[in-house]
Amino acid sequence: MSTPSRRRLMKDFKRLQSDPPGGISGAPCSDNIMLWNAVIFGPGDTPFEDGTFKLLLQFDETYPNKPPTVKFVSKMFHPNVYANGELCLDILQNRWSPTYDVAAILTSIQSLLHDPNPNSPANAEAANLYRENRKEYTRRVREIVETSWES
Amino acid sequence: MFRWHTVAFWEWNSIDSNEVCGICQSPFDACCADCKIPGDQCPLLWGKCKHCFHLHCISKWLETNNEGICPLDRQPFEAAT
Repeated sequence: MSTPSRRRLMKDFKRLQSDPPGGISGAPCSDNIMLWNAVIFGPGDTPFEDGTFKLLLQFDETYPNKPPTVKFVSKMFHPNVYANGELCLDILQNRWSPTYDVAAILTSIQSLLHDPNPNSPANAEAANLYRENRKEYTRRVREIVETSWES
Repeated sequence: MFRWHTVAFWEWNSIDSNEVCGICQSPFDACCADCKIPGDQCPLLWGKCKHCFHLHCISKWLETNNEGICPLDRQPFEAAT
């Protein structure tokens, strides 16, 4: 069945394929366009470099007027990612705009890996280490980079 | 002559036809995701901020968004008259 949300998601998919931003990929499940798998490659010059982080994006018929639910499936160690993989990211909450598409969402998450925001921590330990012990923070991130290759 | 076929072409003359509505991502010359036929049934709406959307797209957003902001500049959206 075609609905406005599904038609929009097809456009998002076409854009992602014809003009893919570097370091991200994503596609809807073959039997459900409302459920997407995505991969964000850890940005260079960050502790996340070389990681392949898998995410799940769940849309509903309110898209694009409401954001999708986004969570990391891969284990993550980041000040703004909760233990269950959900993200604390303003554009997925109160600063959502219906002009964002899947490419914009994934690009924002990629830049969150680049620039964590320790002032709104979802993982207090990661936020503290990021602020106070960058060496240990980097070591913990490198651990999850290695586990990201396994599954 | 028994019959002729006519083919019509149209576009909005008020906006670049290559531009897309930021909300539905369809060209302004096409209709919003809810409509089937472009044109007067699916008009465009400009805000005072000069940002343009399909009327149906921006209306749905303003119903959803309590603050009533323009999706592009986050300022209160007021229709240009």
